[in-house]
Amino acid sequence: MMKSLLAALALSTALSFPAVAMAKPVTLSATLRDYGGNNAYLAVYVTDQNNNYVGSLWLAGSRTRYFEHLSGWYNATGGDSSQINGITGASVGSGRTLEVTLDLKDALFDAGYKLHIDAAAENMRESPNDVVVPLTAAGAGKPVKGRRYISSFTYKM
Amino acid sequence: MSKTLTLLLASAAMTAAIGLPAWSALHAPGQGETIAPLAALTATANDARPLILAENDDHEDEGGSVTRRESNDDEGACEDDDGNCGTAAAAAPAPAGSVPPPQNGLFDNGTAPKVQVK
Repeated sequence: MMKSLLAALALSTALSFPAVAMAKPVTLSATLRDYGGNNAYLAVYVTDQNNNYVGSLWLAGSRTRYFEHLSGWYNATGGDSSQINGITGASVGSGRTLEVTLDLKDALFDAGYKLHIDAAAENMRESPNDVVVPLTAAGAGKPVKGRRYISSFTYKM
Repeated sequence: MSKTLTLLLASAAMTAAIGLPAWSALHAPGQGETIAPLAALTATANDARPLILAENDDHEDEGGSVTRRESNDDEGACEDDDGNCGTAAAAAPAPAGSVPPPQNGLFDNGTAPKVQVK
């Protein structure tokens, strides 16, 4: 009886290790410039080595009628809400920092994937690919400058 | 005598009918308190508690936070909060925490994202 219990425990432990190893909590942190306008909508998504859209990681802003202004993301998804169910939140104010922690697959890193952030704010220019950064283990923790709205972006593992 | 009593009772009843809801309304509930039943009966749309929006995106209520394209002259007609305005996006996305992240191959499991804006 004791032996079989121990065997079951060892087996479940062995099975859970790979799952743990495959999971990676990653914190994305985007600080916006003081651009002085209304809250910005941000779309965070991933493309593969051929620049094909793979999937979305986060969308800041909830009104679908504004999604088309996140043009890179919108062109890839057609604004399909099912792409962002469970990964949306409020839009982000000028000068504020958005911090999102996600459990991402290890396979995303050092495999040619790129993280993109599209940004837009009312009465201001759209900024597709405000940030484009390769997802690599070496790039973690290194700040990247955005083009228009995002002053600094980092991902930490 | 009975006429006086009747008048007295009637005026007392009227006072109670008018005064109690007014008194109850004066004691409007604070945050977290329950609303007074009589005030609730007499409350109108204008004196009701502040409208609490389902989404907490204050700036959006001041007219939206995303650039409007000049070519979209008819966009003003689209005021549906759910975005049901004839575009491909039919329904508002479920906010984080209400459903698991999509199964797009990027997320390891159904753990809800943790988000904060500083």
